[in-house]
Amino acid sequence: MTHKRTFPLLSALLLGSLLFSAIPALAGEALVIYSGRSDKFVKPVIREFTRQTGIEVTLHSGKSTALLNKLKLEGAATSADLYLSNDAGNLQKGSDLGLFRPIDAALAAPIDANYRAADNSWIGLSARARVLVVNTEGEWANRLDSVFDLADPALKGVLGITNSSNGSFIAGVTVYMLAAGKERTRQWLQGLKANVDGKVFNKHSKIVKAVAQGRRQVGLVNHYYIYRHLAKHPQAPIRIVLPDQGPNDIGVAWNVAGIAISRHSKRHAQAERLVAFLVSAAGQKMFAEMNMEYPTRKGVPAASQIPPAGSYKVADVPMAELGRQRDATLDLIEAVGMP
Amino acid sequence: MTTATRPRLLAFRLSPLATLATVVVLAAAIPLLYVVWNSLQLSAPQWAGLWTSRLPTLLWNTLSLSVLVAIGSVLLGVSSAWLIARREFAGRRLAVWLMVLPLTIPTYVFAHIYTVLLEEDGWLGRLWIALAGDGRYLPDLFNVWGAGLILTLAGFSYVFLLAHSALGVSTRSLEEAARIQGASRAEVFWRINLPLLRPAIAAALAVVVLHVLSDFGAVSMLQYQTFTLSIYLQMSGRFDYQAAAGLSLVLVLLSLTFLLLERFFRSRQRYYSTRQPRRQPRRRANGLETALIWGWLGVITLLAFGLPLAWMLSWSWVAWEERLIDAEFWGYARNSLLVAALAASVALVAALPVALYHARRRNLLGGVLLQLSSVGFVLPGPVVALGILSFFLAQLPLLYGGMAALVIALVIRFLPLAVQSQDAAMAQLTPSLEQASRSLGAGPLATLWHVTLPMIRGGMATAWVLVFIDALKELPATLILRPTGFDTLPVRIWIEASEEMLELAAPAALMLVIGTLPVLWILLRGERRSG
Repeated sequence: MTHKRTFPLLSALLLGSLLFSAIPALAGEALVIYSGRSDKFVKPVIREFTRQTGIEVTLHSGKSTALLNKLKLEGAATSADLYLSNDAGNLQKGSDLGLFRPIDAALAAPIDANYRAADNSWIGLSARARVLVVNTEGEWANRLDSVFDLADPALKGVLGITNSSNGSFIAGVTVYMLAAGKERTRQWLQGLKANVDGKVFNKHSKIVKAVAQGRRQVGLVNHYYIYRHLAKHPQAPIRIVLPDQGPNDIGVAWNVAGIAISRHSKRHAQAERLVAFLVSAAGQKMFAEMNMEYPTRKGVPAASQIPPAGSYKVADVPMAELGRQRDATLDLIEAVGMP
Repeated sequence: MTTATRPRLLAFRLSPLATLATVVVLAAAIPLLYVVWNSLQLSAPQWAGLWTSRLPTLLWNTLSLSVLVAIGSVLLGVSSAWLIARREFAGRRLAVWLMVLPLTIPTYVFAHIYTVLLEEDGWLGRLWIALAGDGRYLPDLFNVWGAGLILTLAGFSYVFLLAHSALGVSTRSLEEAARIQGASRAEVFWRINLPLLRPAIAAALAVVVLHVLSDFGAVSMLQYQTFTLSIYLQMSGRFDYQAAAGLSLVLVLLSLTFLLLERFFRSRQRYYSTRQPRRQPRRRANGLETALIWGWLGVITLLAFGLPLAWMLSWSWVAWEERLIDAEFWGYARNSLLVAALAASVALVAALPVALYHARRRNLLGGVLLQLSSVGFVLPGPVVALGILSFFLAQLPLLYGGMAALVIALVIRFLPLAVQSQDAAMAQLTPSLEQASRSLGAGPLATLWHVTLPMIRGGMATAWVLVFIDALKELPATLILRPTGFDTLPVRIWIEASEEMLELAAPAALMLVIGTLPVLWILLRGERRSG
């Protein structure tokens, strides 16, 4: 009769399970960040912060949009003290939903006003440029100087873009829509759609690789993907093109990664210390350099490989608009039927 | 004794058992109530907008994918089950294992591995270029064919399992009768075996198609717009919970229609055997046949398990060499096992009253409760998670943030697996044993404890195993409901794969396979005993 032994065991297991599941989360001492930015870029910075201040940090990583949803639904019950995202659109959306508590103006001051919310409910920490990558050995090596050239039917089959649910893609389209107008952007999207013919990439890194291998001649990517590829393959035949630099052109689209303090944080003072660390010159350098991005604090230089900030024209669109106009952008993308 | 003599006014009194079963089913229906409530907030113009802008594409995408996966799964599942159940050949036992092992690999891992393998510098990409000269026509998985292939490889094992046990039961007298009447072997297969297999295939297809309808991982990796992916994007991209709920409601109706169709076709197909089922004797295969059988099974194994496993091993080796497998990694593994074991154990208990009530009372309420308990299977994971999240925040804020919300969401998602295994086990148990126990003076609980439960031990074990396997692989609800900083293996695979950190995603996927092996062994042991 083996069941005489198995069943007490089984019931103990069940009782244990039920009790265990019922334990509520114990409010830990650690500072909690809902982070939509890649772990490997955040962890070293956090480790340095903990080393300097002794404040423990728990990273709760995921997709930026999903975490923002979680923050919204949880309301006052959230355990998040800070929200970190790679996309100004998400940060502004959270701000509009009233999820954040404005950061002290003195703390935010070193960051350029264009790269933070008007009420300082979020501040940008590092910026990325939306650029073209071209194959230097192909026929398109020197013929492109605007993102709007990408709609040229001659590029059919040689253009690489990500799928249209990619956050950087959406943010870029928002900038073009605001700088160049809705109608022009719609026609441009239709041109892109025809040129890629349903074949889009799910990762920017794959676009750069495809251009380097000659499977595509040009791609629309964030600048650091090019340098990441070049770091691994220094001889790769690829080159960055900073688009739309003419006197009447819109300039390069930028987007920022940034941080916000949750309205319902119970460790507000510690959260502010983390923000202060990330805004400091040393913190800025570390945060941006991890991913070869541009520090948003004036006077902190970016990695030497990338084109210096200020050496080229940037589209004049406040980052906060990336959040406000996102639904309009999604509508436009959907109406065109981008893959 | 007193209750037995009381006049029965209602067909079903609300006995403690019925009450318990109702409570379980009501809890399982929380996400559905959430969906219905939120869709009610949609105005008529909003519905019309959804209808014109999204539904036609989504319906087409979802249905064509389901049909493709159904055909693929039957092709792979029935052919392999037939060969293994009806032929005796060297390595037959191993073959059973090989056909079930793909169940250990989650759909998003399949999708991720195959997209990497099919890149120009991936293993398959290089092979293609070597054979075709260039990579221009390298197959691309980001379409219905790719999604269909991935979900077929990940799901055909369900068809195999059910077809294999159905084929193990002897239908020899029928087959012989047909042969005597002059039917060819092929005719026997089409006119005797296939119709007899139909209930098993229908049941398996129901499982496969429901997995397709609710799949989140593969379709989001492959960016193939089905209902589930669109619902997720609607929620997280636009914060539009009502549109998401509206789409979910359409998906639920779609799944229910499908389930009803399946039941309808199955209920018209009942075959009774006059004798105890006997085991079907297997014909010994000669050398050539053995080679052919292994050729076919080898191709299936290579695609559905061999290649993914080789990929996982090779990248895990890189991770091991670079010392990336640290204490944190083992923490993820521990979290995964813990959550899956908790969910499986709670589901086992929660399913018991529903199954018991249905199997013993055979009344309307029992049937309704049984059907309603399968709601978790027809709702997409993100929606179940959202429903539970809202419920906990509104009703049980103190319990929010711990494991409870996650475990309950997983239990709701996989309760149907537990209910159905237990129900099937109890259906085979003759009530006379329990009646004997009761007549000898044992109470209902004592009878349950000493008679019923020991007799349905096999069904209970199967129920636990099935829930455990699915809970271990679960992604969307875990992503939303896991406690702060609590990462499981699927969550890590998801994060590392989206960062292209192959050497970190691979060991986590490998750990999932290894973690599932012992429980698969339990499952197959039961299979061996019965067939």
